[in-house]
Amino acid sequence: MNKQKVAPVRQARAFSRPLQYLGLAAYVVFLGFPLLFLLSTSVKTPQQLQSPENGFFPTSLNLGNFSAAISKANLVEAAGNSLYVALLTTVIVTLISLPAAYALARFQTKLRGIATGWILLSQVFPFILIVIPLFLVLKQIGLINNLFGLVLVYTVWSLPFALWMLRGYVAAVPVELEEAGAIDGATKLRVLRSIVLPLLAPGLVATSLFTFISSWNEFFFALVLIKDPNLETLPLTLARFVGAEGQVQLGQLAAASLLATIPSLVFFLLIQRRLTSGLMSGAVKG
Amino acid sequence: MKRKALLGIGAAAALLLSGCALNGEQADTGGSTDGPVTLTFQSLAYQDSTVAATKEIVDAWNSDNPDIQIKLTQGTWDNVHDQLVTQFQGGTAPDIIHDESSDIMGFAAQGYLADIGKHLSTETKDAVSEDVWKTVTTKDGKIVAAPTLLQTYVVFANTDAFAAAGVDVPKGDQLSWDDLRTAAKGLTKDGKFGVGWGLKQPTAAIMNTALGYDGSFFDIGDGGKDTIHVGDNEVAVPEHIHAMAFEDKSMDPVSLTQSGTDVLPGFLGGKYAMYVGGNFLAQQITESAPDTFKWTVLPPLAGSAGPVQAANPQTMSVSAQSKAPEQAAKFIDYFMNAENQAKLAQGDWLIPASKPARDAVAEQTKDTPVWAPILKSGEDLAGAPFQQAANYPQWKDQYATPALQKYFANSISLADLKKQLTDGWNSLG
Repeated sequence: MNKQKVAPVRQARAFSRPLQYLGLAAYVVFLGFPLLFLLSTSVKTPQQLQSPENGFFPTSLNLGNFSAAISKANLVEAAGNSLYVALLTTVIVTLISLPAAYALARFQTKLRGIATGWILLSQVFPFILIVIPLFLVLKQIGLINNLFGLVLVYTVWSLPFALWMLRGYVAAVPVELEEAGAIDGATKLRVLRSIVLPLLAPGLVATSLFTFISSWNEFFFALVLIKDPNLETLPLTLARFVGAEGQVQLGQLAAASLLATIPSLVFFLLIQRRLTSGLMSGAVKG
Repeated sequence: MKRKALLGIGAAAALLLSGCALNGEQADTGGSTDGPVTLTFQSLAYQDSTVAATKEIVDAWNSDNPDIQIKLTQGTWDNVHDQLVTQFQGGTAPDIIHDESSDIMGFAAQGYLADIGKHLSTETKDAVSEDVWKTVTTKDGKIVAAPTLLQTYVVFANTDAFAAAGVDVPKGDQLSWDDLRTAAKGLTKDGKFGVGWGLKQPTAAIMNTALGYDGSFFDIGDGGKDTIHVGDNEVAVPEHIHAMAFEDKSMDPVSLTQSGTDVLPGFLGGKYAMYVGGNFLAQQITESAPDTFKWTVLPPLAGSAGPVQAANPQTMSVSAQSKAPEQAAKFIDYFMNAENQAKLAQGDWLIPASKPARDAVAEQTKDTPVWAPILKSGEDLAGAPFQQAANYPQWKDQYATPALQKYFANSISLADLKKQLTDGWNSLG
C-alpha cells in the first residue's frame, strides 16, 4: 500500500526536478545577461558593432577596447577613488545605522514616530531639488572637490534607507531572546554583542551592499562636486565614452564598465556568505 | 539633554545662515586682476584626437604664457547643462566654459557669462561671419562667447549603391530637395530604401533645415512677446520627408522613429543608399565602415532660399564670476586661431566657424574628398529666430516634438501639424 503511494511521488519528482533546474538556469541566464552582453560588446570591433549582422557572439577577440579604456579613462585611479568613497561611506553608514536602528525598533518613545516620519520624508526629495543647497553648504565648509565631501553626501543620502532596512531586521529579532540572555545573567552589552549582533549579520550585509553599490554607482553628486580629474570616481570617467547627439564609443565603454563592475562583484562575493536567512526560525517556539 | 539638542540645532542653523551670507559676499568677484593667474578650462572634447589636440593647445599656451596658466578639466556633453546650473549657483563654475550657443544663451540672460566682445581681437572677430556672431550675442548686444565649431545636416551616400542602381551621384554646389527625392526613388528597390533618416527627435533637424525655405517659425518681439507663424515655408521640409516616406516610399518610415546612430548600421549594411545626419557622423562612418564600403557626402541640401541651415556653434565663454575675464578672453583668442581650430575640427569632423580655419582644413584635407561638401555646407549657416525665442525649449519638448513624431508616423495631417505647433506655442503664453 505504502509502496503504491510513494511511487507516483517519486515519478513526479523525477519529472519535475529537471524542469526546476531548467527554470533555475533560465533565471540565472536572465539575471546574468547584462553582464554577458557587456562582455560580448567589450571584445567587438567598431565595425562589428555597427554591422547589421551584429549578433550576440563576437566574431573576433578585440582586446584593444580594454587597453584603450584603461589608458583613456584613467580607470585605475578612478577605481581607487570610488573604492575609498564607497568603503568609507559603507563603514560610516553601518556604524550610525546599527545603534539607531536598534533604538528605533526597541525603544517605545514619541521620538520613534517622528524619526520614522523623517526617514520616509527624506526619501521623497529628488536629487535635483537638494543639490544646489547642498552644494552651497559643502562649499562653505570646504568640501567641494574633496572625496570626503562626497562620502558625507553619500552617507546622508544612504542613511535613511539603510536605517529603514536595518530597523526591520532588528524588529524581527525576538525580544524574548534578549530577555533570556538577561535572565542568564548577561549584561546589556553582552546581550547585544553575543545575541543580537550575530543575528543581525544578514541585515548588516544587505544594508552594506545597498550602501556600497549605491555609492559606487552614483554619478550626479560626483559630477557636481568633483572638479579635479585626479579625484574623479568611476561613473564620471565612464561618462567620457559618451559624446553629443547619441555618439558613443560602445566597445570601450563596455570594456570600462565591465572592469568597473569587478570590485562590486568581489565585495559581494566576500560578504554574500553571511546573507543567510532562517537563523531565528524556531528560536522562541513552545 | 533637550537643551543640548536645541543648542546643536541652533549651531547648525547658524552655520547654514552664515554660509549663505558668506556666499552672497563671495559671488561678487567679477573684474580683472593683475599678476599671474591660473584659470580653469572645462573642455567637452570627445573624440580621442580632439582631446589630444585640446591638450596640445593648452600645453603650448601654458609654456608661452607663464602669467596666465590654464588648468584643463574634462566635462561631458550629456551633463554639462546641469553641472553648470549648479556651479553658477555655487560660484564655482570654470573660468572658461566650452558649450554650445543654444545652451549658453539662457545662462547669458541670467548674467552668468561675461561680455568678452571687448577683449577679443579684431582678427578673431573678422574670421567669423556676422550671422554666426549673432548666435552668441545677447539682445542687448553683449558677445558672450566665441563660436568655434559647427555642425550641419548632410546627406551621406553609398556610391556603390548608386552605381548598382544606375543613378548618378549628385554633384554641384547644392542639392535640391526635389533632386534628392528623384535620386531616392531611383535607389529604392529590392527591399532597400533610398534614404534612412533617424528623426526620433525631429525638432532640431526641422528647425535647422527650414531656413532653406525661409521657414523662420518665430517673430522675436523687442522685449515683448515672441509670436509663432507656421506657414508653407515652415513645413516644406516635413512635407518632403512625409512624401518620401509615405507617397514615394523611398525613405524608410521605421528610420524616422530611430536615432541617427541607430540608423547608421542600416546605411553601412546597404539597407539605405543615402543617410541624412549631422556631419560629425562622418567620424563614426570612417571608424566603423567595412574596408570595402565606398561613401561620399552629397552637396548641401537646398530649398527655395538656398542651402541655408541654422547655426548652433560650439562656444567658448568666460564665466562672469571669473576673477580674470580679460586673461581668459586672451586664451580664447589664441584657441580661436586658424591652426588650432583646424586641428580641432578635423578630430571631430566638424566645421570651423572661422573662415581662415575652414580654408586651413580645406588645404589639409584636399586628399579626402568628403571634406569639401562638408565645409561647403558650413558657408551658408545663419542665426535662426528659434534660438532667441524664450519659450522654445519648452515648446520643443511639449508640443513640437510630439506633433512632428505623429506627422512622421502618418497619424496626423499637415493641417493638424500646423495647428498643433501653433496652438502649442500660444498655450505657453
